[in-house]
Amino acid sequence: PPGGGAALRLRSTRAPLEGINKPVLDRIIRVDHAGEYGANRIYAGQMAVLGRSSVGPVIRQMWNQEKTHLKKFNELMVAYRVRPTVLLPFWNVAGFVLGAGTALLGKKGAMACTVAVEESISDHYNNQIRTLMEEDPEKYKELLQVIKQFRDEELEHHDIGIEHDAEA
Amino acid sequence: KMAAAGALRRAGWRLCRGRAVLRCQHSPPLRALQASAALRRVSDEHKKEPLTSPSQQQFDPHPDGHQPEQEPQGPRPSYTGQGGQESEDYESEEQLQHRILTAALEFVPEHGWTAEAIAEGAKTLGLSVAAAGMFHSDGSELILHFVSECNAKLSELLEQEQKRVQLGEAEKKPTDEFLRDAVEARLRMLIPYIEKWPQALSILLLPRNIPSSLSLLTSMIDDIWHYAGDQSTDFNWYTRRAVLTGIYNTTELVMLQDSSPDFEDTWRFLENRVADAMTMSNTASQVQSTGEAVVQGLMGAAVTVSNAETSRAVR
Repeated sequence: PPGGGAALRLRSTRAPLEGINKPVLDRIIRVDHAGEYGANRIYAGQMAVLGRSSVGPVIRQMWNQEKTHLKKFNELMVAYRVRPTVLLPFWNVAGFVLGAGTALLGKKGAMACTVAVEESISDHYNNQIRTLMEEDPEKYKELLQVIKQFRDEELEHHDIGIEHDAEA
Repeated sequence: KMAAAGALRRAGWRLCRGRAVLRCQHSPPLRALQASAALRRVSDEHKKEPLTSPSQQQFDPHPDGHQPEQEPQGPRPSYTGQGGQESEDYESEEQLQHRILTAALEFVPEHGWTAEAIAEGAKTLGLSVAAAGMFHSDGSELILHFVSECNAKLSELLEQEQKRVQLGEAEKKPTDEFLRDAVEARLRMLIPYIEKWPQALSILLLPRNIPSSLSLLTSMIDDIWHYAGDQSTDFNWYTRRAVLTGIYNTTELVMLQDSSPDFEDTWRFLENRVADAMTMSNTASQVQSTGEAVVQGLMGAAVTVSNAETSRAVR
C-alpha cells in the first residue's frame, strides 16, 4: 500500500528449529494432522454403523492404524510448534457424518468411501514427499520416513477396501 | 537474462524511491551506504559479472517524489564477509536501523515516540539527525522495534527459566502462576515508558501497523503458552491463546490507569483474570463431556433404528 510499511522486518520471538523451512513444514504438518484427524472420524462413523457387522473387525483394524497416525502427528505438531487447523471442529462432524452416512448405505458404501478417501490421502502424501525431497532430503529425513510409512499404510487400507468392495 | 534485467530494473526503482535518497539529502555517506548495499544485494542475488552500463543508468539519484515502497519480503542476503570488499565493521542497513532505534529508546520518556527521539538517538551514535528521515514521522518503527525487543527479552527469560527447571534448580510452576508471572514480567517492561505508552498503543492500532503489531502480539502469546507447557493439538490451542490475549490486553489497559504503588492493583487484577480463566476451562470441559454423552445417546438411537430397519427388510 502507498505510504509504505515499517522499514524493518520485525522478527517474531519464536525460535524456529534450526534451518527448517518453517512455512512449508507448518503447512505440511497442519494439513496431515487435519487429514488423519478427519480419517479417524470417518472410521469412527463407519464403526458406529457397521461395528457389529462382518466387516466390523476390518474397519476396526484400519481405524486403529489411523489412531497411531494421528498420535504421531500430534507429537510432530508439538515438537515443531505448528498450530492446528481452525477447521478441526468442522472436520470432527463432517468426517463422522461421511463415515456414518456411507456406512448406512451398506458394506459396499463404506468400502467405496474408504477406497476414495485413502486414494486421495496417498496422492496427497506423495506430493508432500516430492516437495520435501525437492527442499532437502537430508534435513527432513525423519519426516520423510514418517510420511512414506504412512503413505504405504494408507495404500494398504485402499487395497483392503477394494478387496472387500469387490467381494460384497 | 530477462529475469536479471527485470530484477536490476526493480532494484533501480527501489533506490530511486528509497527513503534515504528522498530524505537524507544532507547525508551523502548514508546514501552511499544504501546505494552500495543495494548494488551488492542485486549482484548477490544473481551472482552475475559486474553490472553493465544499461543498469547503471537506472540508478538515478534524482528522487521522483514518490512515496517510499514497502521493503520486499523474503530473507535478506547476508552482506558481511563477501570477497573482502567491505571493511570489517560494515553493517547492513537493517542492523544500523536497529542500533539507531535502540539508542532512541532512551529519549522516549522525554520526547515521546517521535522523530525527535530518533534524532537524539542517532546523535548519540555520532550520526546526523537527518538519519531520523529513514523512519516514519509517527514513530511506528520505533514502537514496533520496542515491542519486538520486549518480546525477545521475555522469550529469553522464559527460556532461561525452563532451563533452570530442567536442571532441577527451580520448581515447575503451576499454570496459573506461570501465566501470571510471564504477563507481569512482560508488562513491567513498559514501566519506564508508561507515560507515553497510550500514544504508542494508538499508533500500533493504525491500519498500516496492524499486521505487524498483531503478529508480534500473537507470537508473544504463543511463546508464553509454549513455555507454560501447552501441548494442545485441538481447538483448545485457539481457545487458550484467545483467552490469554484477552487477559494481557485488559491488564495492559488497567496498568495505564493504575496509580497504586508498584502497580499492585494491576497485578491483583491480573491474578483475578487468570483465576477466572482457570475456572472457565474447568466448566468448559464439563460442558463438553455432557455434550459428548448426548451425542452418543443420539448415535445409539440412530444405529438401533437402522439395524431394526435392516433386520425387518431381511425378514
